[in-house]
Amino acid sequence: MISFKNILKQYSKQTVLDIDSLDIPVGQTFGLVGNNGAGKTTLFSALLDLIKPSKGKVTNNGVDVSQSEDWKSFTTAFLDETFLIGYLMPEEYFYFIGDLRGLNKKEVDIFLSQFEDFFHGEILGGKKYLRDLSKGNQKKAGVIAALIGEPKVVILDEPFANLDPTTQIRLKAIVKDLSENKDVTVLVSSHDIQDVTEVCERIVLLEKGRVIKDLITSPQTLKELESYFKGE
Amino acid sequence: MIFKLIQLQWKAFFRTGSLGGSMITKALTWLGMVYFIFITTVLGLLSYKLLTEDFPVENPLLFINKQLIYVFAYWIVIRYFTQKPPVLNIRALLITPVSKIQIVRYALSKSVFSFFNVIALFYLIPFSLLLLKSGNYEPYGLLSWNLAVLGFVYITHYLNILINSNNKAFYLIAAGLVLIKGLEYFEIFDFTIYSQALFYSFYETPLLALLPWIMLVFLYNRVFSFFKKGLYIDTGLEVKVKEATFQDYSWLNRFGKLSTFLKNDLRLIVRSKRARGTVVAGVFFLFYGFIFLFQEETFGSFMTFFAYMFSSGGFLFMFGGMVPSWDSQYYPLMMCQNIHYNEYLKSKWSLVVLATIASTLIASALYSFQGIEALCAVIAGGLYNIGVNGYLTLWAGAYTKSPIDLNSSKNPFGDKKAVNMKTLLITIPQIVLPVFVYFLGSYYFNNLIGCAMVGLIGVLGLGLKDVVFQQIVKTYKSEKYSTLNAYKQNS
Repeated sequence: MISFKNILKQYSKQTVLDIDSLDIPVGQTFGLVGNNGAGKTTLFSALLDLIKPSKGKVTNNGVDVSQSEDWKSFTTAFLDETFLIGYLMPEEYFYFIGDLRGLNKKEVDIFLSQFEDFFHGEILGGKKYLRDLSKGNQKKAGVIAALIGEPKVVILDEPFANLDPTTQIRLKAIVKDLSENKDVTVLVSSHDIQDVTEVCERIVLLEKGRVIKDLITSPQTLKELESYFKGE
Repeated sequence: MIFKLIQLQWKAFFRTGSLGGSMITKALTWLGMVYFIFITTVLGLLSYKLLTEDFPVENPLLFINKQLIYVFAYWIVIRYFTQKPPVLNIRALLITPVSKIQIVRYALSKSVFSFFNVIALFYLIPFSLLLLKSGNYEPYGLLSWNLAVLGFVYITHYLNILINSNNKAFYLIAAGLVLIKGLEYFEIFDFTIYSQALFYSFYETPLLALLPWIMLVFLYNRVFSFFKKGLYIDTGLEVKVKEATFQDYSWLNRFGKLSTFLKNDLRLIVRSKRARGTVVAGVFFLFYGFIFLFQEETFGSFMTFFAYMFSSGGFLFMFGGMVPSWDSQYYPLMMCQNIHYNEYLKSKWSLVVLATIASTLIASALYSFQGIEALCAVIAGGLYNIGVNGYLTLWAGAYTKSPIDLNSSKNPFGDKKAVNMKTLLITIPQIVLPVFVYFLGSYYFNNLIGCAMVGLIGVLGLGLKDVVFQQIVKTYKSEKYSTLNAYKQNS
């Protein structure tokens, strides 16, 4: 279980995150929505110990992330291009991540083979370094790298943005597949409420760092979110 | 309009991430400039005195003219390695109502008063005034000679911009310089005669001083049109994509867990121009000892020791000094991967140590013909570098926090310079201490004991590895968040 307890993050006087209590049980596919500046990326960054909350405690499967580094062995993430190593070729990057997660080259190759459709011939076997790939292709490589090594917690920030329609549909299928596995907790954020309602079992709406809505996805969820964002 | 562009530059400077560091660096750069201005002025005054009193030559001006061709040749080389080509954030300006001519003119003219140009005056003016005072020279001739020399200074200025942004020009000029040096070295051709005739003609026939300025206008136009042509996102501003080649480096697997990082760092060095430049600069350190060769009486044995110690520290100081900034572009990834800080830092340390061992071996081979003392000095220096400086560099790295843009040599306006002031600064405490210890040892006992003392400190340092690492990891952990934040502001 992932839990945020009394989390407060302030920059000078501005509050960017203010969460009393938020628990995400094991196996849940969790969606985060909200406008720009709602605190989605901040929340993920706090969970990954990339920023230190001004107050409160974040635990990831019992590990206090600011005290111990043990969460690193079962958690993966792709937040943005700072999770890519620009001077590597996609294959080298996958092998590197695999190496860190205890997979050898062959195992990584087998793992990658299931995503041939998703890569659409644009990632593997090319003659480009990651830094020279388009934004969309970079994202494809980053998201798949975050799935290497059977992580228990997968964090994806805006995975559907910048992707072409075909890839979006395929990525949704991949995330849905992941959510079938009841050992894997998936955290996804998005600006597109339709995308999240499609793939997530639970959706939390953030505004100015606060939890405004916490919904279990149902046929009414999309309507409810829409009316909120329309300002009704 | 130009004012607006200047404003942009101003903001770019004051709004970069680690301003504090950058301010200190700036202040030191200014101090350095004052120092060089002082030295140059003194040189201008002194060279007249030297050439008339201590080593009198018939005509000091003629003598100086003889050397000028080499001065300008070296000037280009120095500029290439230290003077930055003009940097402007071009893309955003392209579709604004600033004409392209203005953009390029601004980029090219903002460096006119660059230190590298102005400093020439600090030599020329005192030297010329003394010549004038001697009464042996025509004032008009001296004036035109000065103007001509200044013209050549600016020619090297624009040549530098050209070779910095155009590989063809770089190879052409590099080949030219090597040719000049080679012909001179093998005494096939004596350039000094021509240099003397050429520059003296500016004195004798003042009108000829127009020639370098005409050349300058020609060159300026050439650079101008080169840059202007480059103002399209698919030409000069294009991100040049090199065809990638897969590198496995499986031979590194013998290093076990370490190999994962060694492979990446090797790829970094091979594929990033910035990293490559830094490593090459580090390799030059190997030859540092030669500067002090056979000069022990002039510099004293502790200076020679310093040189030998330095020669094995090239990689350590140049590349190691910028750890962990090399990983700045993907630091969040590193912080989330399945590695503990301890392992990450140890892998960086091991890389530096491996390179230092290699440098020490090469340096000991290079200097072994100098005798046992030189050999001991190299080895003692190497031990100190491994056992103490390795930690110090890594520890200082926790505070460095300036991101490195690995893809920085993308376009003619990009920042290409690999040598940075801060990395050079950290080297001071790392060097003063061992040299002092050596000095004590050699003063009270002999040179070999001095070497032994320094080497012993290095060995002791190695023994303390675990304790030191605990401390380093602690520092890195407490600096982690602010480092991540500073790295966010790229370039």
